[in-house]
Amino acid sequence: MKIKENLDSYLKYVSNWEEKIGSFLEFDISRTKGMSTVEGQLAGIPFGVKDNFAVEGFNITCGSKILEGVSAPYTATSVAKLQAAGAVVVGKTNLDAFGMGSSTDNSAFKITNNPWDTNRVAGGSSGGSAAAVAAGIVPFALGSDTGGSVRQPASFCGVYGLKPTYGVVSRYGLTAYASSLDVVGVVARTVEMTKTVFDTMKGQDIKDNTSVSHPGSRNNGDVKKIAVLKIEDGSLSDDVAKSYLESRKLLEKLGYDIVEIELPSLEYVVPVYYTIATAEASANLARYNGLRYGYRSKNGNDPGEIMQTSRDEGFGDEVKLRILLGTYVLRSGFQDQFYHKAQKIRTAIRNEFDKIFELADLIMMPVFPTAAFKHGSTDLDPFQQKVADRYTCAANLTGLPALAIPSSIENGLPVGVQFTAPAFEEDRLFNIAKVLEKDFPSPLAPGTKNWSII
Amino acid sequence: MKNSKTKAKYQTFIGLEVHIHLITESKVFCGCRNVFGSEPNTNVCPVCMGYPGVLPSLNEEAVKKAYQVAMALNCHLNEKAVFERKNYFYPDMPKNYQISQFEFPFGVDGYFDLELADGSTRKIRIHDVHLEEDAGKMIHEGSQSKLDYNRAGTPLLEIVTEPDLVTGEEAEAFVQQFRQMVRYLGVTDGNMEEGSLRCDANVSINEFGKGLGTKTECKNLNSSRFIKKALEYEIKRHTKVINSGDTIIQETRLWDESSSKTSSMRTKESSNDYRYFPEPDLPPYWPETKFLADIKESLVELPGIRKNRFIDEYGINQQQALFLTSEKSMADFFETVVEGDIEDKSLPGTVASWLSGNVQKILNNSGQGIEESSLSPRRLLSILNMIKKDKISTGIGKKVLGLVFEADKDPEDIVKNMGLDEGPDESEIFRIVSDIVDANPKVAEAIRDGADKQIGFFMGQVMKATSGKANPGKIQKLLREKILTGPEKN
Ligand SMILES: [Zn+2]
Repeated sequence: MKIKENLDSYLKYVSNWEEKIGSFLEFDISRTKGMSTVEGQLAGIPFGVKDNFAVEGFNITCGSKILEGVSAPYTATSVAKLQAAGAVVVGKTNLDAFGMGSSTDNSAFKITNNPWDTNRVAGGSSGGSAAAVAAGIVPFALGSDTGGSVRQPASFCGVYGLKPTYGVVSRYGLTAYASSLDVVGVVARTVEMTKTVFDTMKGQDIKDNTSVSHPGSRNNGDVKKIAVLKIEDGSLSDDVAKSYLESRKLLEKLGYDIVEIELPSLEYVVPVYYTIATAEASANLARYNGLRYGYRSKNGNDPGEIMQTSRDEGFGDEVKLRILLGTYVLRSGFQDQFYHKAQKIRTAIRNEFDKIFELADLIMMPVFPTAAFKHGSTDLDPFQQKVADRYTCAANLTGLPALAIPSSIENGLPVGVQFTAPAFEEDRLFNIAKVLEKDFPSPLAPGTKNWSII
Repeated sequence: MKNSKTKAKYQTFIGLEVHIHLITESKVFCGCRNVFGSEPNTNVCPVCMGYPGVLPSLNEEAVKKAYQVAMALNCHLNEKAVFERKNYFYPDMPKNYQISQFEFPFGVDGYFDLELADGSTRKIRIHDVHLEEDAGKMIHEGSQSKLDYNRAGTPLLEIVTEPDLVTGEEAEAFVQQFRQMVRYLGVTDGNMEEGSLRCDANVSINEFGKGLGTKTECKNLNSSRFIKKALEYEIKRHTKVINSGDTIIQETRLWDESSSKTSSMRTKESSNDYRYFPEPDLPPYWPETKFLADIKESLVELPGIRKNRFIDEYGINQQQALFLTSEKSMADFFETVVEGDIEDKSLPGTVASWLSGNVQKILNNSGQGIEESSLSPRRLLSILNMIKKDKISTGIGKKVLGLVFEADKDPEDIVKNMGLDEGPDESEIFRIVSDIVDANPKVAEAIRDGADKQIGFFMGQVMKATSGKANPGKIQKLLREKILTGPEKN
């Protein structure tokens, strides 16, 4: 259905679904009118942007009280490139504050529900983006992926979630959580849309000195041999284990050369991830002090005190926990024990992945050990949620590209599977995804439909 | 130290941390202008204000200047330079961490040849040269605190010496000579009042041979004179404390110029753990061989070396050479004038004495630097040429010099417009000389008989008759010719 021709019914659809899922923190279709004339590959396509990206004309709250009401004074490079190609930002999506979480329950403003079951989370931290796409409100949305924050919610909501190679998409304008792990990611309904958005955004940016130009695939993205991670019994929920096994069988049926592998270093992924990510976060989040913008506490007599009270009152518990952890691992005298050690293991993990890619074109592994869990701590407590990041964090620690692909519906909930490719081999991910999409396209949640071009 | 007893007993160790503001078009990690004295918070952008999502983008111009200083200080250049985050909270620092360098700065293990009062030099070891960003400024006005972020993110180069200096006087000399060097390099204006050059000093004393003592750090040293005074105060204080059997507390102390004392600011125990770690937003910097070679190639001759060359090459004295090379602009000016007439072997001496005398006197009065004045090397050479060719006298030359500064005109035009060169030519002078001598035969006779002093009488007469425009040497020469040949007999 075209939005432009059915604007009223679209808006009604959106408000209906928003009441149920709460995927947007800000939604403003009005500003799309003036922009829908831009020519380009994405002309007139509406999209949502996770609220930790800067988009001029919108707020940038990062889901935290400390940035409540802050409007972005500039636009992120990734967003600007999509706008230049004709795409239109319709709103800012909900997230776990500063990207810290797997449920979007850590947003200071509201919770986001899964369109498949509103008692369940949409995943996180890009839960708003995934829910908005799954509910059909937008054909794609931007997320950020520091430890799986795009892939896990995409998997929970039955859509595609791409984490590109580190540095290929400019991070300028994406609020830093952990700078060496953060990437701009895409949540989309189709493989084609995922690829188009990625191709539009990629490229070196002088504003991001860690960005690189994309050299292209070395083998036209051909996929013949796939390494499938062997899963220990009991590591996955029954539903996810079943779906994973079926994905493997499907690949065999489709004629791919399958080799089963083990990745012993996965054992260290979570502790290494939380050491590095929190260390960087402790510095990245130091700038929020209420003096120049954002929440300023009324308790405090001088700038030094105001900084302390504003941070105390403005940050949520999960963010404080990670800042404390990061401060701890960076203390002088403790760096060898924690931060430096984590960096060494990080290199070892990358080496292990590189070895696998000497014998296979892609690695297949689960996205998350369970399907979407229920709000609160009934299914998975916050610690278990962190432990469950093992399959997604690896791609961030290694910098490698990875894609979450919908693989089946189990007991009414979508389940996904993840493919990881060598650096700059996003095309291999798109190729395998297109093959599998024919067999199982992104499923429509009950009551949803796809809206498209404005 | 003047106290010889103390000198015998204790050894003093002084190390300096010198910060210089680099002259660059833009700030070190964003496109904002890098200028001093703008309206508060006008040279700011999302990057230097630390808005969410911004990233630093390294300014290559600042990097080049950092390498220039590292090279001039004979540093080993790290194959890979790494930026790190120095974490501490302060209201004037937008990100609450400073991007700096720690483990792999641009330059390490260098030295500076310090010229001592007795003319000898000593190598002062340089620990490292690293690039960082400056913070903003917080001003307290009554119950209000005001923050100005114009300075936030401007490029700052920190030079850390080893504790190789021994007296306050040496430290002062180091800062003066170092300042001269970096001004020569053109990397900073070195203005201490505006904070373009800032210096912290640490000092410790200990019994001879026992190595470093417990050090204190002095801050708020806004002039090289304060550095000397603060260090001398601290050395005395340390000596007194140690002599009385107490121990020095490691701490930071502030120099107060009005009371000529230092006072405790904070003890090291309560100071920050900076939790340095590599800046993930900036990849390690690997300078290319060609890049470094080009910088090396472009390095200017440093003042000490240039001074010695001036003495050797131009035969001018130590004092003049020291004066001429104190500022690069003056030394460049001198050499440009001299190159204007390389045949004239006496020119360097003449130019040196004009620059250190007449010219400097005018510059002192106006407070201008030579490069911003209206005297150009060509103009000075032209004045000197007119004197040399007897077109004008030295006295008129000085007058013309003054007018060049005042009116910003070429000396030739000044001389022409004011009729300063319209002195009589030689035949005209000779006619006047003849008339006057012929009119006073007795005086001429007396001179011929040995009353040489009476020539002054004729000089006066001729000068008067030529309105002072004729060259006195020429008059005297013609007078003597005329008097010797005796009265004309027609
Ligand atoms: Zn700026």
